[in-house]
Amino acid sequence: MTVLVALPAIVGAVLLLVGRRADRAAPTIALAASAGTLGLAVVAAVTRPSLTFPLFEGLPGGLAVDGLSAVLVVTVAAVTLAVLGFAAGDMPASSRFFGLMLLFAAAMLVTVTATDLAVLLVGWEIMGALSYALIGYRWRDAGGVRAATTAFLTTRAGDLGLYFAAGCALAGTGSFALDGLAAAPAPWRDLVAGGIVLAALGKSAQLPFSFWLSRAMAGPSAVSALLHSATMVAAGAYLVLRVQPLLAATGWAATLVAWAGALTALLLGFVALAQRDLKQLLAASTCAQLGFMVLAAGTAAVAGGVAHLAAHAAVKSLLFLGAGTWLTVLGTRDLAALRGAARRLPLVGVTFGVGALALAGVPPLSLWLTKDVILGATGSWPLAGVTLAATVLAAAYSAKALIAVWRGEARPGSASRSGRGGGIGPGVPFVALAAGAAGLGVVVVPPLNEVWARTVGAPAARPHVVELVGTGVLAVVVLGVGVLVARRPPKVRFAAFAVDWLFLERAVERGIVRPVLALARGLAWFDDHVVQRAVVGAAAFSRGAASGALAVEKPVDAAVQGLGEGARRLGALARYPQTGKVHTYFAQAVVGFLVLAVVLVLVR
Amino acid sequence: MGMSENPVDLLPELCVLGGVVVALLTGLFVPRGRQWLAVALGAAGAGAGLIAALVAAGRGDGMTFEAFLLDPVTHVTRVTVLGAALVVLALAAGPLRGHRRETEFTVLVLLAALGTILLGASADLLVLVAAYLLASIPAYVLAGFAKDARGTEAALKYYLMGALLGVLMLAGVTVLFGLGRGTSYATLSQNLAHAPPGAVTAGLVALLAGLLFKAGAVPAHHWVPDVTEGAPPVVAAFVTTVPKIGAFAALFRVATDVVPSSAPGPELFAVLAAATMTLGNLAAFAQTNVRRLLAYSTISQAGYLLVPVAVATRTDLAEPALLYYLAAYVVTNLGAFAVVLTTNTDTLTDYRALATRSPALAVSLAVLLLGLIGTPPTAVFVGKLLMFTAAIDAGYTWLAAVALANTVASVFYYLRWLTPVFTRPEDPPPPPRLHRPTILLTYTLATATLALGLLSGLTLLP
Repeated sequence: MTVLVALPAIVGAVLLLVGRRADRAAPTIALAASAGTLGLAVVAAVTRPSLTFPLFEGLPGGLAVDGLSAVLVVTVAAVTLAVLGFAAGDMPASSRFFGLMLLFAAAMLVTVTATDLAVLLVGWEIMGALSYALIGYRWRDAGGVRAATTAFLTTRAGDLGLYFAAGCALAGTGSFALDGLAAAPAPWRDLVAGGIVLAALGKSAQLPFSFWLSRAMAGPSAVSALLHSATMVAAGAYLVLRVQPLLAATGWAATLVAWAGALTALLLGFVALAQRDLKQLLAASTCAQLGFMVLAAGTAAVAGGVAHLAAHAAVKSLLFLGAGTWLTVLGTRDLAALRGAARRLPLVGVTFGVGALALAGVPPLSLWLTKDVILGATGSWPLAGVTLAATVLAAAYSAKALIAVWRGEARPGSASRSGRGGGIGPGVPFVALAAGAAGLGVVVVPPLNEVWARTVGAPAARPHVVELVGTGVLAVVVLGVGVLVARRPPKVRFAAFAVDWLFLERAVERGIVRPVLALARGLAWFDDHVVQRAVVGAAAFSRGAASGALAVEKPVDAAVQGLGEGARRLGALARYPQTGKVHTYFAQAVVGFLVLAVVLVLVR
Repeated sequence: MGMSENPVDLLPELCVLGGVVVALLTGLFVPRGRQWLAVALGAAGAGAGLIAALVAAGRGDGMTFEAFLLDPVTHVTRVTVLGAALVVLALAAGPLRGHRRETEFTVLVLLAALGTILLGASADLLVLVAAYLLASIPAYVLAGFAKDARGTEAALKYYLMGALLGVLMLAGVTVLFGLGRGTSYATLSQNLAHAPPGAVTAGLVALLAGLLFKAGAVPAHHWVPDVTEGAPPVVAAFVTTVPKIGAFAALFRVATDVVPSSAPGPELFAVLAAATMTLGNLAAFAQTNVRRLLAYSTISQAGYLLVPVAVATRTDLAEPALLYYLAAYVVTNLGAFAVVLTTNTDTLTDYRALATRSPALAVSLAVLLLGLIGTPPTAVFVGKLLMFTAAIDAGYTWLAAVALANTVASVFYYLRWLTPVFTRPEDPPPPPRLHRPTILLTYTLATATLALGLLSGLTLLP
């Protein structure tokens, strides 16, 4: 258990500490550590270890791999390995990058194995800080750093909810334990749920926090592939899935989460469809797909939600890696400019195609199955309607991306650089992830669904055949329409509303950032004009008092000066008899002794 | 008090005398290059005298040849004078090595030291006069030793002052002889009590003229600055230090053994003490020549030394206070002059940034000057403390207050010397030409003041 977390953490920390001297060996070391972590994760998933250690007085902290954690641990480790494999070819060899990536993976592992809120917070916070470092990895690029700051501040704002939840959990149950939260007494239970939901929505880039993920696309593609598929954003979905009993217990929280997820899936689906930039499209689709998982947490479809999470992790990291490869090779991520990109790098093209089809929900690929489980659990008609619409949109934006890279002829000339994305070594992550993207859905198909449900520790669920056929046909139809539309591209002008991510960032800018800055300016004015004036006034008063004291001091000073002056005069007087002439000495000596004798004789 | 006429009682003095004679004879016959032999023989005589004096100090008190007292005052005088004389000879080794009249210098120093010991040990006015002459005349010659204009002028002033005050002293001796029907202190103390007090006071003041001249105290202090500045530095070190020892010992004896209770002895000495310390300090304020500054400093120290003399008959603390202060002062003052000899400059501004050129020397100077102020834990501090205690013990609180005020005032001019030493130089003067044995001697003296202060502080003070 300890080794699972410690291996990537220690190797990452060592790489960071050693710094540039380890640059050349960094990719190899990181890959080895990552492979070891995957092996340990598999072992942990089977053996289910747990660990308890003293954290606070009377409040032990714990790490444990249960069913839910086992899935997450293996998913995180596998995606990390795949992404690092890609990064070894795509990124310059840098111990800083690989060290940060490993540390990030370790933090994510802590988060998904924590059994209590305190330890979870530790992993959660380290993850947040490292996400800042990774998104802003190219720190010379001001845009990257600004994006990192936006991402960090936004998720931090949500994180406050987690602190709040931890405090309320301690007050309500006397412990941080995650599994005891649902049993908390009435007011505390609701407060804890509120805090956790806030934190999860922030981390998972759900409405209204979605915009940070758009900005985070400024980071390296490998970072996007890791952070925005299996980790970071998935942590929020994981958290709500983990505390699903708590959400259900409150009543309102489950509904809130379900609607937040469904609306995110719908609206961010529109946003994804409106994007002209491949990475932005993928980012928006990530938000939308995470919406399905959050929805699953709200509708108690935990088994489906976790399956969707794992499958989506494979799909989305695969798509980000493809986008990253084209960005590196072709220097663009603009959908129009990527015309025919898939034909030039066949391996990347085919695997990207598999991923996009899976994202679209085309049978028999993974997300088709997992999404239907979630859809089947929605319960109410309005929610089901919204979800169905979101499914259609998912097919639509996937089609957009797929068609964009496959349509048209490959432009000759630069295909030789396909070595970057092709070849045996760098190709392995693509193939592996494509396999996962295609096949991970089987876990919800009978009879595997029973095993899966037992593993995850949730009631078994399976897609209904009618729905499956329905959504499958729908996805294919949408895809077909997409191809047809693409033949003669219509002059569709998407609403700026959708293109610009629902104006969320602008809203935050106007609604939060500017008021806060205005308030800060106001407070600064208050500080300068009222507080400082008071301080200056106090100082002036002291100075006045001091000058009063000076009035006393002046005579003293004058007296001292006078004393000095007097001593100087006396000194001059004392030297006056020292004329250097012997006859005056004689006179002085004789007079001196005479006076002495006369005075003494007379006095006596 | 046992009487005897055993020459062995005078062994230290005889050793010194023998050293003088042998050195003189040797100096006559060895070539100029080997005069060090005569110096060594003379120094050996003084060294033997020092050892004999230390041995004699262990024996009981007494009087020998009816005029020579053997008591703690004599013992301390002998040891201090001979030790100081040896230090002066060592200090002279640098500047006078190979000098044409090297032997002469040694002989003069030893003869003056011998006269000083006699001055401090004598119990008879006639012996006192003889000792005065023996202590003075070699010193006059030493002042003009360099045979340069300033040295000659200094020697002449020194001699003329000494002659005048010596005549006054003889007059005083004559008056007291007439009044007391004898010259021995024992006779005088018996008979002067019945003599007219006015006449006794007048005779006493006249007698003091010579002793105050040797001590460099007001109103016979005029020679001190001129000689200290004009004579060679090593001679200045000698004449401001060694004769004082004998003079204060003699003054102490006069105050305790001669002055009858009818005469205003304590008042006389107290006034002289206050006047001397104040005048010395005031005149030292504006000095720019370190030797002149040290000269006035020695005058003020003479004032402090007169305090135990003033209270000599009133408290038992007076004797240890005087003797301890004397020894401490001698070591410290010789050390200060050693610094002047080492740096070979008199100008105050030349000491700028001495600390960067020779840190150890600067620290030594600081220790010695702080010692002259009377800062703990130096030797003079203990001496001053004893002196204050004695004054207060004897009811002379006003004198202690004057001494304290003067001590505070003296800080000013000692620091005037010390401050430039530790300033950062903008253009450091060239490193001084340093004579290695002299430097070592300086360090030794500075260390000695500290060691003496610490050791006596541990033993003397509660």
